[in-house]
Amino acid sequence: MPLLLLGIASLVFVVSRLTPADPLVSIVGERNLNNPEVVAAAKARWGLDDTVLVQYSTYMKNLVQGEMGTSFTTRKPVLDDLIDRLPATLELTFTALIGGSIIGIGLGVAAARKHNKFVDHIARFFALIGSSLPAFWSGLLVLYVLYARLGWFPGPGRLEPRSTPPGRITGFYTIDSLLHGNVSLFWEATTHLILPAAVLGWGVVGIVTRLVRASLLDEFSMEYVRVGRAMGLRERTVVNTHAMRNALLPTITIVAFTFAFLLTGAVLTETVFSWPGVGSYAVDASRNLDFPAIIGVTILGGVAFLVTNLITDIAYAFADPRIRLS
Amino acid sequence: MVHVSKSLSTRRRRFARRTAAVAVVGAMVLAACGSDPDAPSTDATSGTGSVSTGSDTALVIARGMDVNSLDPSLAYCDTCQIYMTAVYETLIGLDSSDNQTLVPRLAASWEGNAEQTDFTFTLDPAAKFADGSKVTSADVKFSWERLKGLQGSASYLAGSIETIDATDEGVVKVTLDAANSAFLAQVNSPYLGIINSKMAIANGATLDPATDKAETWFLANSAGSGAFALKAYSAGDELRLSRNDSYWGTPAAFPEVIMKETPTAVTQRQQLEQGAVDIAMQLSADVAAGLDSGDVTVKQVPSFNFVYLALSENAVGGEALTPDVREAIRLALNYDNLIQVTAGGAGQSQPSPIPNGFAGTANLPKPTQDVAKAKALLAAAGVKDVTLDATYPSFNVYGVDFSTAMQQVQTDLKAVGINLELNPVEIAVWADKIGGDGIPVTMLYFAPDHTDSSQYVQYFGMAEGTQWQGWSKTEPSTEQADLLGQAFATQDSVQRAALYEQLATAMIADNVIIPVVNPDLFLASRSDITGMAYSACCNLDLSKLGRA
Repeated sequence: MPLLLLGIASLVFVVSRLTPADPLVSIVGERNLNNPEVVAAAKARWGLDDTVLVQYSTYMKNLVQGEMGTSFTTRKPVLDDLIDRLPATLELTFTALIGGSIIGIGLGVAAARKHNKFVDHIARFFALIGSSLPAFWSGLLVLYVLYARLGWFPGPGRLEPRSTPPGRITGFYTIDSLLHGNVSLFWEATTHLILPAAVLGWGVVGIVTRLVRASLLDEFSMEYVRVGRAMGLRERTVVNTHAMRNALLPTITIVAFTFAFLLTGAVLTETVFSWPGVGSYAVDASRNLDFPAIIGVTILGGVAFLVTNLITDIAYAFADPRIRLS
Repeated sequence: MVHVSKSLSTRRRRFARRTAAVAVVGAMVLAACGSDPDAPSTDATSGTGSVSTGSDTALVIARGMDVNSLDPSLAYCDTCQIYMTAVYETLIGLDSSDNQTLVPRLAASWEGNAEQTDFTFTLDPAAKFADGSKVTSADVKFSWERLKGLQGSASYLAGSIETIDATDEGVVKVTLDAANSAFLAQVNSPYLGIINSKMAIANGATLDPATDKAETWFLANSAGSGAFALKAYSAGDELRLSRNDSYWGTPAAFPEVIMKETPTAVTQRQQLEQGAVDIAMQLSADVAAGLDSGDVTVKQVPSFNFVYLALSENAVGGEALTPDVREAIRLALNYDNLIQVTAGGAGQSQPSPIPNGFAGTANLPKPTQDVAKAKALLAAAGVKDVTLDATYPSFNVYGVDFSTAMQQVQTDLKAVGINLELNPVEIAVWADKIGGDGIPVTMLYFAPDHTDSSQYVQYFGMAEGTQWQGWSKTEPSTEQADLLGQAFATQDSVQRAALYEQLATAMIADNVIIPVVNPDLFLASRSDITGMAYSACCNLDLSKLGRA
């Protein structure tokens, strides 16, 4: 795994340097690009006056020691930035994924059980909309209707602008507010999660519903299901205990990889909802060609995929005894 | 069946145990991830946190923040101007009622010699920093020498300083390396705010970029004498200021100011309408339309910001842009239409790169469209159906979308036989291109750092070493350099205005920079907010704001 991550870092470093773009503009601003003193000082300060090879070796040496460099734009160590922002993204992603998976599995089961009936059509339509709608559009729409017009839900951000965040323990506002015994802040943090999590989770619902439905329909055509039904088992037992167990295997994979993707890919949702997470950090980094931050986010994405892979394997063992035995 | 039930029950218990174990490990990992006491996070909001209530008195501003640093010697952005003005006072202030008159701040008085090379400032003996220590000439010397020494983006403002005499702790004597009648205006720039030198040095500040280690400290702390002090900063989330209760001047009305990261203008408006924020001042004309109601007040004010077209004959592919062709392009543009399309009509045309209202612009004729003359010039130059690369940064600034503006420019120029190949790119890509081959036709924006016209000549003029002389690869103009030298050498406002008018006229004749629109600003606030005013130097002075 460490070698793989170093490989990812090397690749991103090389690709970043090959990009025909000048990162100095994010450091000195476009107004000073022709000012030789300012440019020289900035290059020296950020190590950009070395050859690319020296920059690469310095970066990798630091990376091996756990340092990801300092962001050109936030002026803080990238690792600190990621640690600061990851809980916001995790809190949003967990909520979206758990909510989306539960609804998606429920809709998928209902659609499969009522194959080609009204419920099936409704579930598929809902799933299709969730998969098709771009997050920036649905985000703006729900904000406009449910926040700005109707006032049913709170607006952007993790808390109301005037509220003071809870002292940091985990970085999850919901958990930290509870740990501090501040129930009203917990409620505020929870309600602020609803809209962005719904927008992000709707896409998950779309994926999971279609997958569960298709997998269950496959399982329903299997002999063991017919045998179970012929033996007089209740339909709920056939579906939940037998067919569902097999149908969940591909769902676990998809949900796990969706989670890894959302960690760095919830860009639009985070931007629309002014959510200070890794996604918005990644956008700023790429727009400003902030090399250290770009590589940091990429490594985080790599770690997320590798860890998710591991967790998926473990979850497979839980879900499928054959894998456990082998 | 009994056997099956037992097996299932056992599996469920095992599953529950494993799930609980995973949850505990997960919580520990999250806690470890979250609680990093050594990280230079500026999360100063430790404690139980608090929810907003109706009686809250904090001022909340929704902004797309562009903070590049909170180190006063390195910061350079619109939000930085607001922050610096609130936290780090300058020696001289600006009367926001006319955006021209210089008023005392840390300096009770000042004077310059006739040659405009020596300036003396007498500090107000009552001035003190937030920690209670007195503001002295040593602090001024350190602040300005550090600004110059660190070579940050605003260092040019201190570039002409040769020596600073701080022998008398209440008097600052500055000697410049050349005459500079703009120096007092530069001193008024928020980037020349004064730092508590003892506190800064104790936290790693030096005058040398190679040894200075204070930037991270400044992200979590401040060391100024202003009406506010930094409370907490979380990049991409919020900037919190707390009132300096031991402020030596008139204390600010708000105990706390929160600038909340809100990138989109639409969201800023929604939050303002809902009362979640008090101020939004990055609204475009279309977003601000219909906002002025009982709860929200919108002031439309002229700004000194502008968006311009830049033409570079010596860029690769720009050979067709001879002086006559550039003149034809100026004449081909429909300025009224451009203002309508880009700013919803809420803006002005601007004759020269020196914005309306600055010295030297009072008598300049407004730019007008003359398609017939443009065609005649192009015909005389033998230019027909020429195609030019128009790479520009995909910005949306001051409510002006560059793509919309460039499409209108493209339409206007097509009518006279000039085709633009529009190529919107990220700013880093744009910077690489303009610094290399150059770009024949591009678009950019400018906002002032201070109140003197010289900054425009130093940036847009064709004297040797200016930004656009370099980017356009134009032959340096000794005439403009001489005129600027004369303007720097005189204190007489009438003479200065005349010289800057000559410079503005020369820059118009260059036709390298063609201002497209000078958009108005929409200062939107809840109706109970008082003191809203746009400042030419400082954007928004938070200490002047209150709640009725």
